[in-house]
Amino acid sequence: MSGPVLSLRGVSKRFGGVRALVDVDADVHEHEVLAVVGDNGAGKSTLAGVLAGAHRPDAGQVLLDGRPVLLDSPAVARSLGIAAVFQELALVDDLDVVENVFLGHETVRGPLLDEVAMEREAWRLLDQLAASVPEVREPVRTLSGGQRQVVAVARALLGSPRVVVLDEPTASLGVRQTAEVLNLIVRLRERGHAVVLVSHQAGDLQAVADRILVLRLGRVHDVFDGDASYEDLLAAMTGAVRPGAPHRRGQR
Amino acid sequence: MRADRVTPGSQTSLREANRARIVSAVQQRGSLTQIELAGVTGLSPATISNIVKELTVAGVLHTAQSTRNGRRALQVTLARNLGLVAGIRFGMRSLSVALADASMRILAEQRMPLAPDHRADAGLQRTAMLVREMMEAVDADPSELLAVGVGVPAPVDIRTGQVVTVGMMRGWDGVHVDEILGAELDVPVTADNDSTLAAIAEARFGAGAGHDSVAYVRVSHGVGGGLVLGGRAVHGRSGVAGEIGHVSVDEHGPVCRCGNRGCLEMLVGASSLLSMLPPEAGHLTLADLVTRAREGDAGCRRVVFDAGRHLGVALANLCNLVDPDVVVIGGKLAEAGELLLEPLRTSLGQRVVATSRGPVEVVPSTLGADAGVRGALAAALDQARMFGSLGVTS
Repeated sequence: MSGPVLSLRGVSKRFGGVRALVDVDADVHEHEVLAVVGDNGAGKSTLAGVLAGAHRPDAGQVLLDGRPVLLDSPAVARSLGIAAVFQELALVDDLDVVENVFLGHETVRGPLLDEVAMEREAWRLLDQLAASVPEVREPVRTLSGGQRQVVAVARALLGSPRVVVLDEPTASLGVRQTAEVLNLIVRLRERGHAVVLVSHQAGDLQAVADRILVLRLGRVHDVFDGDASYEDLLAAMTGAVRPGAPHRRGQR
Repeated sequence: MRADRVTPGSQTSLREANRARIVSAVQQRGSLTQIELAGVTGLSPATISNIVKELTVAGVLHTAQSTRNGRRALQVTLARNLGLVAGIRFGMRSLSVALADASMRILAEQRMPLAPDHRADAGLQRTAMLVREMMEAVDADPSELLAVGVGVPAPVDIRTGQVVTVGMMRGWDGVHVDEILGAELDVPVTADNDSTLAAIAEARFGAGAGHDSVAYVRVSHGVGGGLVLGGRAVHGRSGVAGEIGHVSVDEHGPVCRCGNRGCLEMLVGASSLLSMLPPEAGHLTLADLVTRAREGDAGCRRVVFDAGRHLGVALANLCNLVDPDVVVIGGKLAEAGELLLEPLRTSLGQRVVATSRGPVEVVPSTLGADAGVRGALAAALDQARMFGSLGVTS
C-alpha cells in the first residue's frame, strides 16, 4: 500500500482551557474510508476542522503526501485537494442550488458567468448523489434538511478533491438519504478518493469504514479494523477499556 | 414452460378455480400471452379468452396487443392499480429494498451498506421507515401496500417466519422477522432465506427460466444456496434446505460460525478469500478482489480460481443428489465471470456421475445482485394473492 495522503502527527488543539485534541496521530490513504467516532466532546469535529484547514493546530504537523503543509484556511486546504462538509452546512439561504454549489468557484466564459455549464455540472453532481432535489434554481431556503445536506456534499465534490472530509453527514437525514450518503461514500472510495467520515452513529460508520479511529477526551483511544465489533467500539468510546488495550481482532 | 395441470375442481367451483388458476399463472410469471396461458394452465383457449376478458373488466388483469412469432398475441399482466408490494433483502453487509406494482414493474429501489454485525431489531425498524419513505417518494398512500417479502441470509422457518439458527448470525438468531416487520408496517409479511428467494427469482424470471429444477448458489460475504425442484422452492423441515455454504469440504478445516469444521463458506467466503491476500495490499473488500482479478492481478485471479474449484466440489455433491436442470451462480464473486465459472465447471465435471446427457449446465445469474430482492417481491405477491388482494380467492 502506498503512503498516506494526509497525516496528522502529534496534533494538539486548545480552545481556551479546553484541550480539544491532545497529541493526535492519524493517517488516511487513497482508496480508504477512515471513520472517526467518539462520544460528544471527544474532539471529532475539531479533528475534521484541522484536516480541512478550519482550525490551526497549536502543536504538531499536518502532512500531505508526507510533506508538512500549513492549512491556513479551508480555501488553502481546498486548493490542495482537501474538501470538507461541516455540520453547519454553510449554505447561503437566499442563493439557489447552483449558486451555492459554485459559490466562490464560479465557471466563467469571457466576462460572464457560464450559467448553462454550471447548471449542467450541478445536476451531474446531484445525480451522482442520487439526490432528490427537485429544482436547482430555487433558493436553498426552500429545501428540506436532507436536500440541503446533499447540496453541501455536492459542493464539496466540485473539482474532484483527493480527500473528502465529512462531519456528521447523516445526522439530519431520513433513512433513504442516509442510504444515499453511505452509497456515495462507497463510490468515492471506489474511485480512489480518501474519505474521512466523522460520526457518532457507529452503525453507519461500520457499514463503510476500512479503519475506525476512536477518539476519547481529545486523544486517540484506539484504531480498529473496519470489521471490529460494535461492543469493542462502544467499549473504546466510553473508556471501558484502556487506550490501546489488546483487542481481539475479527477474522480477516 | 412448466404446466400447472391439476385436476379441475367440481362443477360449482370450476369457474372460480379456473379464474384463480389464471391469476396465479400470470402473477408467478409476470407477463404471458393468452396462448402461453393456455399451455401453462391446461385450459382451452376459449375459456382463457372469456375469463381474461371478465377479469380485465373487473380490473384484475391488464391486456396489451403484442406480437409473438410474427403473429398478433394478447399479452396478459396483472393490473397495475391492484396495489404495491415491497421486497426486502438483508445481506451480510448490505440491504436492498424494492417497491413494485402487481405487474412486477419496479417503481423504486434502494440499497445501502450495512455494518458487519448488524442487528435485527434496529435493522428491521429502519427498513420499515425506509419502505414508508420510498412509498412517499412514489406518491403512494400507505394503504396501497399489499404485502412484504423479506429475505435473510440465514435459514428461516417459513411457517413461523423465524430465523432458526442458533449462534450463527449474531443479532438475528431466533428472531421472528415477519412479526416484527408486520407490526411496523401493518401488512402481511413473508420471510424466507435470501438464497431461496433468489432461487425462486432466477427460476421464474432469470437464468433458470423455463427449467423445472434450478439450483442457485450465492457466493458473496457468506455462501448461500436455494433449490427449486419441480417448480417449487424446497425449504425442508426447518428451512435449512439448500444451505450449501455449510457442506463439509475439509473435515480438518477451520471451525465455522455454524459450529462445524471446514465448511464450504470457510474456504470461499469473503473473509477467507481476503485473508489469503498479502497484508501489503491494504484493507480490501470483496468488490476490490473481484475488480483486481478482472484487471489481471495474478494473486487475486488465483484466489478466485481456487474458490471456483472448491465450489465445484460442493456443487458436484449437490448435483449427484438432486440432479438439477441448471446450476445458477450468483453473488459478488460471480461478477468475476469465467475466472470463477471455468474452474468451477471443470471441478464439477470431474465429480458428477457421467451421463449421456453430458454435464449439468452452469450459468451466471442474470438478475445479479437483484435476485434476492426480486424473489422477495415475488414472495410478497404470492402472499398478496393468498390473502385475496388480487381479486380472486385461492
